[in-house]
Amino acid sequence: MTDAPHKMTARDVSVFYGEKQAVKNVSIDIDMDRVTAFIGPSGCGKSTFLRTLNRMNDTIGNARVEGQITLDGEDIYSSGMDVVQLRARVGMVFQKPNPFPKSIFENVAYGPRIHGLANSKADLEEIVARSLRRAGLWEEVKDRLNDSGTALSGGQQQRLCIARAIAVDPEVILMDEPASALDPIATAKIEELIHELRGRYAIVIVTHNMQQAARVSQRTAFFHLGNLVEYGDTDNIFTAPREERTKDYITGRYG
Amino acid sequence: MNNARATQSTQAQERAPTDWKTVAMQRRIRKRYRAERRFRFFGIAAVVLSAAFLAFLLVTMVAQGWRGFTRTEIMLPIDFPASGMMVERAQLDTAGADLALAGAGLENAVKSAAAAAFGPGGESYISDNAWVSVRKAIKHDASVLDRKTQMRVPASSEVDQAMAGRGTSEILAAVAKLKNAGLVSRHLNLDFLKVSDSTDPVAVGIWGALKGSLLTMFVTFLIAFPVGVLSAIYLEEYAPRNRWTDLIEVSINNLAAVPSIIFGLLGLAVFLGSWSLFGYRVGPLLPRSAALVGGLTLALMIMPVIVIASRNAIKAVPPSIRDAALGIGASPIQVVFHHVLPLAMPGILTGTIIGMARALGETAPLLLIGMRAFIVTPPGGLTDPATVLPVQIFLWSDEVSRGFVEKTSAAIIVLLVFLLAMNGLAIYLRNKFETRW
Ligand SMILES: Nc1ncnc2c1ncn2[C@@H]1O[C@H](COP(=O)(O)OP(=O)(O)OP(=O)(O)O)[C@@H](O)[C@H]1O
Ligand SMILES: [Mg+2]
Repeated sequence: MTDAPHKMTARDVSVFYGEKQAVKNVSIDIDMDRVTAFIGPSGCGKSTFLRTLNRMNDTIGNARVEGQITLDGEDIYSSGMDVVQLRARVGMVFQKPNPFPKSIFENVAYGPRIHGLANSKADLEEIVARSLRRAGLWEEVKDRLNDSGTALSGGQQQRLCIARAIAVDPEVILMDEPASALDPIATAKIEELIHELRGRYAIVIVTHNMQQAARVSQRTAFFHLGNLVEYGDTDNIFTAPREERTKDYITGRYG
Repeated sequence: MNNARATQSTQAQERAPTDWKTVAMQRRIRKRYRAERRFRFFGIAAVVLSAAFLAFLLVTMVAQGWRGFTRTEIMLPIDFPASGMMVERAQLDTAGADLALAGAGLENAVKSAAAAAFGPGGESYISDNAWVSVRKAIKHDASVLDRKTQMRVPASSEVDQAMAGRGTSEILAAVAKLKNAGLVSRHLNLDFLKVSDSTDPVAVGIWGALKGSLLTMFVTFLIAFPVGVLSAIYLEEYAPRNRWTDLIEVSINNLAAVPSIIFGLLGLAVFLGSWSLFGYRVGPLLPRSAALVGGLTLALMIMPVIVIASRNAIKAVPPSIRDAALGIGASPIQVVFHHVLPLAMPGILTGTIIGMARALGETAPLLLIGMRAFIVTPPGGLTDPATVLPVQIFLWSDEVSRGFVEKTSAAIIVLLVFLLAMNGLAIYLRNKFETRW
């Protein structure tokens, strides 16, 4: 299990917003058959680091990335890397739900359509239905696929975004607090989904919920002020953290 | 209330609780109400004033202009067999009918008929173009040539003015007599919308200028809209932020404020000027007075407006939508055309219509590029000499002949209707593209 090559690796990655360094020399490995959880106090750079993994930071004018990140051994910041393809292979669910102001069907169908993943209308409908089912949204929206995606509740919107991300069948899925707007039942559905997807996709999830990190992940990384403080098996982090700061945070003594 | 007092007392322990009933407090409250009333009064006054101006404009225009859509017509008895006109009947059904009738001396026959009917000088009662209506009637039914008949023909400008109570006492008396006999009257006449400029105010029409405006607007839109929107997309979505793009931004903002006549000079120099290049004489590139040149010049003028409006509309699209599309592997151009542009479209269209409306009402730059010519035939294409509505209005308002006053007002009505139609289209398109969030 541990001998398999890492799906993604990060080596000495630093991210700067102008002069300000938001992520400091982070090295981490992400494996295919494990869920990796990023935890840490607000503003510590989790989202920033996550966005470097599919180069979403490129869109921020003053953001600069140093260090090396690879996907299947290939440097994703090298000039030969096609960013569009990279983002199709490394999908992302954002912290704030951001459905397109289009119909529910169109939201999910958009990715497969631009990448030519469906070879017929029936095929496309099948992909949409499967993605919505996996995201735990199908039962609620199956009768109104033509309604606007923005007319859904916040939690439904987030699941729609998850369905949209998995519809393109990525290899890695980056989730930035996907359950922060969800009720416990929907959250359980998402966690179930993560369990189901594990093994097929490499999954990275940012969460503020310690129980959730403990439940869904096999590896946990604790960030603090831009540093990766501790990274290891989830069981170890939660039962026997090596660092004092980690212990303080997970026991809630730390804000 | 309690809460507010609690926080206040923790901030300033020694302060007494606010007494809202003191004289000073009451005075402050009254003052606030007064300010409120005053503001509302000025607001209403401003609205009423602008509505009054608008109503005044519309009422005067319609009051003066409606006569432009009517024509004074006079009943002309005409005895064809006695006129000595020789017309080959067979020719009347062919394309040469106009020529045959003109050759047979129809114009003179009509004039003598008028002199016979209304006494010496009677030919001045009918319009110079009266024979054209007679010709039309003959072509419609050739049998009139065999009998004595009566025909309604357009009256001259003097008769027309006399109907409105203007003119010498002789003509006023003569027209009053004709009027009592029911021989002269005003009729709705939509020829004004079908014919073009003329020296005779009775015979002028707006169609040439309207068509010129349509052609010019067509060229303006075709150039300014795509170029403006594409520039805006490039500047917003692709261009790096540096000193050069800052410079471009400042230049565009300044261009939007440049007086229109400068653009006329620019158009004159670029499209109609000639230079020597490597010893060869180059130019003028395009024909003078043409809708093509007018359209290009106005496109230069409104492009900055479209660029600015489009950039603002594109900026207003939430970045999260871009993230969402990029995050599932849409290319930058797919992001723009599938997501950003549709969401920005209402704003872009609004800006475009504001620019187009400005272009439609523009006179000065078009005068400079020669679109003030006297155009009797409507332009057949983009390179034919043409004029546009506002220039036509300007030219007619300059005419000394009294009959042009109402035609000017009528032309203004046409221009305003055109403008309204354009704005209506804009509102329709905006609602159509509006995304419900
Ligand atoms: N676009 C930006 N420009 C400048 N600074 C930024 C930008 N985005 C984030 N930052 C800064 O980088 C740091 C890390 O932000 P980041 O969003 O990665 O935090 P986070 O760990 O995801 O926090 P949270 O748990 O609240 O989402 C913060 O100090 C933030 O202020
Ligand atoms: Mg975050």
